[in-house]
Amino acid sequence: MDIKTTYSEQELVALLQQRNDKAFAYLYDNYSGALYGIVNAIVTDKEIANDVLQNVFINIWRKIELYDATKGRLFTWMLNIARNAAIDEVRSKGFRDSQKNQSLSGNVDIAGAVTGPAIDDVGLKKVLTKLKGDLRVLIDMSYFQGFTHEEISKALNIPLGTVKTRIRSALIQLRTMI
Amino acid sequence: MNTQEYISSGIVESYVLGLASDEERKEFEAMCRQYPEVLAARTSFELALEKQAMQNAITPPASLKAKLLEEVGASAKIVSLPAAPVKNLSWLKYAAAACVLLLAGSVYYNISLSAKNKALFADNKKLKTDFGNTVAKLDDLEKDMQVLQQNPNIKMASMKGMPVSPHSYATVYWDTTSHDVYLLTNNLPLPASNKQYQLWAIFDGKPVDLGVFDIKKEKLLIQAKNAQGAEAFAITLEDKGGSSTPKGDMYVMGKL
Repeated sequence: MDIKTTYSEQELVALLQQRNDKAFAYLYDNYSGALYGIVNAIVTDKEIANDVLQNVFINIWRKIELYDATKGRLFTWMLNIARNAAIDEVRSKGFRDSQKNQSLSGNVDIAGAVTGPAIDDVGLKKVLTKLKGDLRVLIDMSYFQGFTHEEISKALNIPLGTVKTRIRSALIQLRTMI
Repeated sequence: MNTQEYISSGIVESYVLGLASDEERKEFEAMCRQYPEVLAARTSFELALEKQAMQNAITPPASLKAKLLEEVGASAKIVSLPAAPVKNLSWLKYAAAACVLLLAGSVYYNISLSAKNKALFADNKKLKTDFGNTVAKLDDLEKDMQVLQQNPNIKMASMKGMPVSPHSYATVYWDTTSHDVYLLTNNLPLPASNKQYQLWAIFDGKPVDLGVFDIKKEKLLIQAKNAQGAEAFAITLEDKGGSSTPKGDMYVMGKL
């Protein structure tokens, strides 16, 4: 069979929008590892990470029409789908756990997130280790755990404006590290 | 606006990583459309992020791919149909052959129907003519019968076959007032061309000539000569033109 070994991003998107299963196989072969990396940085359980990655690719397949090239590259779009899917999974699990621990504190999850993120030092998370401690926590909470600035402000008892500027400054530093 | 300041504010990273608020996103997208350097900064960070993620890729379990392809396979098959042209072509071939056969069958059927229709049309025309003739004949007969039946003075004589032609049969209607005589030749054999039937009235024991007649299918009821009086009627077969006295065989006879 005549299968192209490489596709331009435009070609790939066009083929995926035509529901071409070979293009989908190509997409999986080329990007599943990178997306699995981001999923694993957020979800610690391997089984759950597998389920999340599967859902990520099914979502990419189903929602490819929604991809808008003017708003970013295909990989950026897929990376955000993967990150959001992983965070949703962790948060829904966190929500179930928080239901059990309701009597203790409303901030159990956030407190836990701050104190004990069990991070494998790979990928973006490895980059994170290069950040100063407080900036690292801010990026971890916002990017890897999906907390809003308001939630972080509340959890860490830092003014909202400070959270915003610190995250921005952390991102600027990250930029140079990547 | 100082775009360089904007670019280095962290908004590029914030946007690409999905951390920007809705308001920030809209503003950034507008800036990208307006300033190529902002767009370039975005693309640059995207590529760096992509490269970093690729370098730190973790290979997922092999079973996942098969599972996924199977799952999307159902929806993908719909568009992958054109990739099986041989199967499609053979299907088309059969469909086309079926169409040709159907067409040929239809044409043949139409031609034979047309021929049948023409024949039926001709038959119908003939039947119409026949029916018209029959109706006309029936009308004549009905008129004749009305003449006879509605007239209370009419007397009838049924003439039975004589030994020379036992199955022959004829009827005479005689108007006792006007003395008109009508003959109905119910069943008489066709005579030879040199012969003619002749009707007689028997009056006072003597035969009175009521004229010769031909057997005509169109007109069963024949008006004969007037009879002043009669006890019975009879038909004999005479030489053409008739005879003053009956000489030939008597075919039928009946009393009033």
